[in-house]
Amino acid sequence: MRNILQEIKNAVRSRSIHVSYVDVGSCNGCDIEVLACLAPRYDIEQYGIYVHNNPREADVLLVIGSVTPQWVDKLRDIWEKIPEPKVAVAIGNCPISGCVYARKGSLTTPPVENYIPIAASVPGCPPRPTEILSAILSVAPLIFKDYEEKKQ
Amino acid sequence: MRSIVYYVREFLRPEWLRKFVSVKTAPLKTPSYSKGYPSLTGRECTACFSCMMICPAPGAIAVLQRKEGWEPEIYPGHCIRCGLCVEACPEDVLTSGRILDVTRRDNTAFASSYHLEVDDSLCMRCGNCCVSCPVNRQIDPQLAGSGTSASDEVIMRVEGGRVRILHPEKCTGCKTCETHCPNRAIRVARLVEGVQGGEAEA
Repeated sequence: MRNILQEIKNAVRSRSIHVSYVDVGSCNGCDIEVLACLAPRYDIEQYGIYVHNNPREADVLLVIGSVTPQWVDKLRDIWEKIPEPKVAVAIGNCPISGCVYARKGSLTTPPVENYIPIAASVPGCPPRPTEILSAILSVAPLIFKDYEEKKQ
Repeated sequence: MRSIVYYVREFLRPEWLRKFVSVKTAPLKTPSYSKGYPSLTGRECTACFSCMMICPAPGAIAVLQRKEGWEPEIYPGHCIRCGLCVEACPEDVLTSGRILDVTRRDNTAFASSYHLEVDDSLCMRCGNCCVSCPVNRQIDPQLAGSGTSASDEVIMRVEGGRVRILHPEKCTGCKTCETHCPNRAIRVARLVEGVQGGEAEA
């Protein structure tokens, strides 16, 4: 019985990935690429990915930008608000390395991995919408499939 | 009534159903002309470091010495895919998308030179820069002993209590003089110029 329930959950979750995004101090380049994912050209919803502004409704958190000091505690708050099972994906070079902002005297404090656990990162400055989409689609089943069985 | 029949017939078309249920566009393929991360073409790297010098992103490219020889390595978490390293490389060691084809077709390249500048108000005439410079030492091995040089071929030497730049065109941009200067009086600037039509040197 449990297996059937789990199968149903897996089937539903594979076509119902809820995404929320947070910009922790980027140049806006990656934001535009995420926006392009929502637009008809890439149309993120045809893959069963839906975007929310509220982290409490999300499964996947897309983190954009090198971390500015004001975001250090707020980013962790947002991450804690997301219900389990959850996963964070770093979009662009900034959350991975700081990219062009990682210079001497810069006020940013990358990488994002220092503050919240990152399951996947999409390098690129900016990454292509196709790369963002394939990252979400590849990481979601790894985390959400058989979640209840894995938890036990 | 006819319109309802029309709609029902339309929605029951296998083609329509297939499109409605399946993914409509297939954008997950990257076109062949897209600029990706630079990859190696297999040609030999001469360790001129032009790619590292022109790279605007810190830590994106490093030219490393391996057993087989020098080889540039790209770090995707830092690389911004601007393609400048591909264009700057005189040996076509790197490639990315259609950049090399376009540069060959248009006959464009980057010409680079180095500009040395000594701030006399900061310089305390110690001569560390002249002695530490590897090109200087190669040209005039006597230089290390005296600090000054009798040779006119060196890049720079101390003359009359002042550092004089004689041959800035011989500078390789290693910045050894900058790191050895106790007062930060000497600066090495790399000047890069886009050129077209066979004017490029390196």
